[in-house]
Amino acid sequence: MKKIKVMVVDDSRVSRAMLTEVLSKTNFEICEYAQNCREAVEKYPVANPDIITMDMNLPDADGMECSRQILEINPKAKIIMISAMKDVNLMIRGRAVGISSFLQKPVNANQLMDTLLMVCQNRKGTIEVLRESYVKAFVKVLQKSLFSLAGVHSKVSLCIDESRVLGIDGIAVIVGLTGNPGGRAIVHMDVNTMRNFSRIIMGKEDSEELSEEEAHECIEEAANIIVGRGVSRVNDIFKDKEMRITPPGTICGAKIRIANPKLTSFNIVAKTRLGDFKLNIGFAEGE
Amino acid sequence: MDAKLVNPFMDAFMNIMPQIGFQNLKRNKISVRDKATLSLGVTVLVGFTKEIRGSVAYNMTDDTAKFIASTMMMGMPVADFDEMAQSAISELSNMLTANAATNLTAMGLEVDISTPSLSIGDNFMVKISSEQYLSIEMEIDGHVFEIDIAVQ
Repeated sequence: MKKIKVMVVDDSRVSRAMLTEVLSKTNFEICEYAQNCREAVEKYPVANPDIITMDMNLPDADGMECSRQILEINPKAKIIMISAMKDVNLMIRGRAVGISSFLQKPVNANQLMDTLLMVCQNRKGTIEVLRESYVKAFVKVLQKSLFSLAGVHSKVSLCIDESRVLGIDGIAVIVGLTGNPGGRAIVHMDVNTMRNFSRIIMGKEDSEELSEEEAHECIEEAANIIVGRGVSRVNDIFKDKEMRITPPGTICGAKIRIANPKLTSFNIVAKTRLGDFKLNIGFAEGE
Repeated sequence: MDAKLVNPFMDAFMNIMPQIGFQNLKRNKISVRDKATLSLGVTVLVGFTKEIRGSVAYNMTDDTAKFIASTMMMGMPVADFDEMAQSAISELSNMLTANAATNLTAMGLEVDISTPSLSIGDNFMVKISSEQYLSIEMEIDGHVFEIDIAVQ
């Protein structure tokens, strides 16, 4: 997995520590620091970062001048200017120099992530960021939850869903995600797996009857717990994301297709002795 | 669930549909349903949360979905309910729910809405509530368009 490399140009140790902390749990990795303009210009070609965060006030030149020198080396360099003031004048001058985006101090995690995402916006980058920063949280949660709910071990795989259509034969519990990014998570499985899981979760013997309704409710509750825990985990990483889940909607039947025209989605499959427990998680594109 | 919560959704429908080319709109009936219903062929689920939590399902036949998509795309013929038509119906569901959310906010109930999930199939079950919920049957140029609303 290739991380997105960030070079931080800032003479303040506090700012550097804050950026490191925010980015430590994401797909962005700080590959180099520079304390002043001279160091930045020297280190840039060697470090070859995907993005640069640039403080406006450097000891030997201002961030604008430093950006200009870096853009002379590579006109496609992506630079985010971070300054105490974010006035129109500064932005106009910055744009003229070729700076991609502007942030005001103190930078919060949410703004920084959104800006980084926007600046490195290409499909590949977006997929990597979603996978590392959001979807992996759900992978861990799925595995742990299946163990805590049903006492089963699972082998979990994760891949991007390129098909744009999700086929359902059995049950699918759809949980909406609000916030930024918005989206939806779908817990789905075949009828046998549903019944196997429901029996264990409800503590029913094979001889005891299990109604369709009970089985549906069991999977709904499991989906609610798993997606809820996943979202909490994301919210712990990004303190002000405030992702929330909506109440589950359930569909049941054979040969159902769920279309996801404008979503970037991922398939997570937990293979267990009770059957495959699947989670498809999709995020709205362009947010 | 409180019957006054129906109005924001019905008003959204009456407000949005004429803007995208549908003039002949009718409200047929409102009924109370228990937990689940059968899909008519195409069902879009949108969840909402914040001051109230719930789900809305837009339920229609394949033919109605194609008719709506075609009108939305300036009368372009839609023979199959393909990706472009699916996008149009998803977008419509998003618009209707976002407008309903604005109406709910005006009533002092702020909500955020989720991305729509569009399901297609024959005779599948759709459950949006563990209790009773309200179903409004609307008509667009003779096509039935069902709006199911569940609030926790």
